Amino acid sequence: MTTVINANVSSQKSWFKWVRDNLFSSVAGTIQTFAFAALVVVVLRWLLGVAFAEKNDWTAVATNMRLLVSYNYPLSQFIRIWVAAGVLLVCAAASLGAWRFDPALTVKRMARTFYSVAVVAALCALLMPSSAPGVLVRTLWLVSTVLAIAGFAASAVASKRNNLTVSFGALLTSSVVGLLAILWFVPFGNYGVVGGSPFANPGDTVARSTKEPWTVIFTLVLFTFWASRALGTKTVAIVRSALLAFWLVGPAFLIFVVLRDPAFDWQRVWAVDVPLAAGFAFGGGLLVYLLAKPTRSSLARLVGVALSAFAILNWVAGFFGWYGMLQKVRISMLLLAILVLILPAFAGSQSKRLRIAVAWGGFILVLHWLITAINTPSTLVISAPPFLGGFTLTFAISYYVVLASFPLGVLLALARTSDLPLFRMMSTAYIEVFRGVPLITILFLFTVMLPLFLPRGMAVSDLAAVFAGYSIFSAAYLAENVRGGLQSVRQGQYEAANALGLTVFQRTLLIVLPQGLRVSIPNLVGQGIATLKETSLIAIIGGFDLLRIANSTIPNQPQFLGQKRPGLLFIAMVYFILAYTMSKSSQRLERRLDAGRM
Amino acid sequence: MRIDGTKKTKRVLGLAAAFAVILGACGGGDDAAEAPTVTDAEEVELTSSDGGILAAVQERGVLRCGVSGAAVAFSFTAADGSMNGIDADYCRAVAAAVLGDATAVEFVSLTAAERFTAVQTGSIDVLMRNSTWTQSRDTDVGMDFGPTTYFDGQQLMARAADGFTTSSQVSDVDGAVVCTNAGTTTETNISELASVLGIKITLTTFEDYDQVTEAFIAGTCDVITTDGSGLVGRKSVQEPSKGAWVIFPATPFSKEPLGPVYAQNDSQWADVVNWTVYATFIADEYGVGSDEVSAAAAGDFGPEMVRLMGGEGELQTVMGLSATAFADVITQVGNYQQIWDRNLTPVGLVREGSANALWNKGGLLYAPPAR
Repeated sequence: MTTVINANVSSQKSWFKWVRDNLFSSVAGTIQTFAFAALVVVVLRWLLGVAFAEKNDWTAVATNMRLLVSYNYPLSQFIRIWVAAGVLLVCAAASLGAWRFDPALTVKRMARTFYSVAVVAALCALLMPSSAPGVLVRTLWLVSTVLAIAGFAASAVASKRNNLTVSFGALLTSSVVGLLAILWFVPFGNYGVVGGSPFANPGDTVARSTKEPWTVIFTLVLFTFWASRALGTKTVAIVRSALLAFWLVGPAFLIFVVLRDPAFDWQRVWAVDVPLAAGFAFGGGLLVYLLAKPTRSSLARLVGVALSAFAILNWVAGFFGWYGMLQKVRISMLLLAILVLILPAFAGSQSKRLRIAVAWGGFILVLHWLITAINTPSTLVISAPPFLGGFTLTFAISYYVVLASFPLGVLLALARTSDLPLFRMMSTAYIEVFRGVPLITILFLFTVMLPLFLPRGMAVSDLAAVFAGYSIFSAAYLAENVRGGLQSVRQGQYEAANALGLTVFQRTLLIVLPQGLRVSIPNLVGQGIATLKETSLIAIIGGFDLLRIANSTIPNQPQFLGQKRPGLLFIAMVYFILAYTMSKSSQRLERRLDAGRM
Repeated sequence: MRIDGTKKTKRVLGLAAAFAVILGACGGGDDAAEAPTVTDAEEVELTSSDGGILAAVQERGVLRCGVSGAAVAFSFTAADGSMNGIDADYCRAVAAAVLGDATAVEFVSLTAAERFTAVQTGSIDVLMRNSTWTQSRDTDVGMDFGPTTYFDGQQLMARAADGFTTSSQVSDVDGAVVCTNAGTTTETNISELASVLGIKITLTTFEDYDQVTEAFIAGTCDVITTDGSGLVGRKSVQEPSKGAWVIFPATPFSKEPLGPVYAQNDSQWADVVNWTVYATFIADEYGVGSDEVSAAAAGDFGPEMVRLMGGEGELQTVMGLSATAFADVITQVGNYQQIWDRNLTPVGLVREGSANALWNKGGLLYAPPAR
């Protein structure tokens, strides 16, 4: 990397040379450059004209920001949304710090980025139609000027010290400060609703109720980032595992405990839920600890088969209503049976056994807490359920669908590539059936038909049905992506693993999957992006996602009748930012994993 | 690849476990999300089997009301997340009558396609979704219609610059490009009328009404048509200059009575919904608004209002409601005029002289006497 940078001589000269070599190298090249530049200008002008036409009332978006973010979540409980957003962002910052995220940002490259953004901003400001809000044009000029100066300063510094880099922390800090300054000082206007009637103060900066929480959150984000950067090697390992655990279960807690605020019946919780959870956690943990000894493998299998038979019997009994049982017991029983069945593969030393037992206990406690929270009525008074809507709903669904379909898809891919015909056939049937059916059909099936197939007395909310149906659908696609990756692992790798005496599990987990998954990253991220965009389909079964709000809620408010375009353009931007972030981080991940390969 | 016996067993078991996980995830995904902690034994009874919808609503403590959620002035979500409009207010009125609390409503936003299924399957208690009362719908399995809360009718809108006035007739649009949204009865109504009148029109349809209006503004359409309430709403917000657009003919050329819809063969529930609507009419007739309820119960507005406001007699209690049920409706939601002022006046609809005036003021709103 450094050699490449040093090879470039004085930046001024190299700029000139680059332009001459790449843009005006020949007559044809010059014509192409001008033609393309003209095309860009025309398209940009047309786009801005569409977006900021006189008939587009952008205050429709500003006034309805609350709906777009969280739909009809009660205003008095908004602190919950801020807490949830804050926890997510702070944990993201902590993760960046704890995993020492520090891409090599050369000052030279930053200068180039600054210059190009400044040019784009200036171009946009120039091409804005006269009906565009003045504050936007002024902000664009301001951003353009500031970035041009910053770019000039950066290139001046870089011309002296060519390979100078800037730490990611410095960049994060300055962007956060810049963002907060814009939020506090640029008069974007203050729009909203008070007591049912909308108000508009175009000259103001955004509402204090927006600025203040963001300021607090961003301050905490910066603090956490730097704090987690400063951690020692020993503590950072603990923090990393804590963060991993958070990313697996944290969002569910944020949704179902923080946002939904269950009204726990404490008497019942102490009398039924706590003893049950404790019993499964400690009893199951003890069983696992005892059976995980390598010498007790055959006993573990025997117990596992017995437990599985009992667990399956419980489900069958529940379906036909032979005897009653808490659903939680059925689920925990099944999970314990599965764990005991696969236990021989993980059998090992005392510390390893203890780790497995503790992991089981923690998992069960979390699971039981979540199930109880989900089944407790919410204290929120929401006039049109479900309690999630807008951006929150889009984000929650895509996050959990990706999270849930990943393990399911990997298992399906493994089954489909296995030598056992039965599993291969079952997996193929699953994949082909779910790939052959449109997503809308599956969503309808799960919201309308699923309740008919469930055991008596069991209800599924629309939201949960969507989560389940969508994950099952997505897993079928994911399985094929992963299978593509698995097939790229050469036969020699399997043979080498066998020669080392690895078990099937060890071979799969340590040799095959890491190589296979790395190959399938582009496809997996592509599917993640598709999942994010397809969440808008839940509008059909009654959810209020971003698209439905922009397309049918806002244009039907009396003061914004027919104002469809601003809302649609706004959500297009939101989707683009999310999808682009995903694709960028996947590129980074690919580069990093590839670097490890060399 | 040769595998010895133990390895094979191991693999079989491993894959069995893998599939158990898959099955667990399939089943568990949804169960974990919403599995009730009640045992199957202490199962909840299906409430509608005995006592009807009224008992079910009172037991549940909240009214499930089907609305459109995307119909300006009828039911729409405001920027603060609340459901507003005349339909939404009638949902609140029923909740106030049954539960004494106008806020005890769960609004279910339904599309035109799914609204009647929701009534028939009982997933909502009452439907207030600007649905026209027609013979086929009324005789359809599983639902009945209540008293009309808004008399709508199809009209046309054109540009004054093209020579149209409020006294223009349908026959004047001969040769014009008429636009409306696809798949609705408005489309059938206008083409039927055109063939009856013997005029030639070019009918263009769009996916939704925003597009129709945009095409009208852009000049692609000479005339647009839909229910009068919709045209007035569009005119009041999107008209480029005052008086540029005109709505005609004065008497609509179709009848669109809009009102509540509920499950068939539950007379008790039908009575509750019908009389909630009638109570708003009667209170309007006597001029009893939210502020006059206690005076009305004391007798300032005559004996009928005393009975209706729970001052004496047991008209409400024999219906299965509290004596002050309709007093709660008027206090918390208001009479018909107040509901109109809150929802329909802002979009420019005028009540005087329309079919929605009271019967003694030349309109069609008429309630049986409360005695």
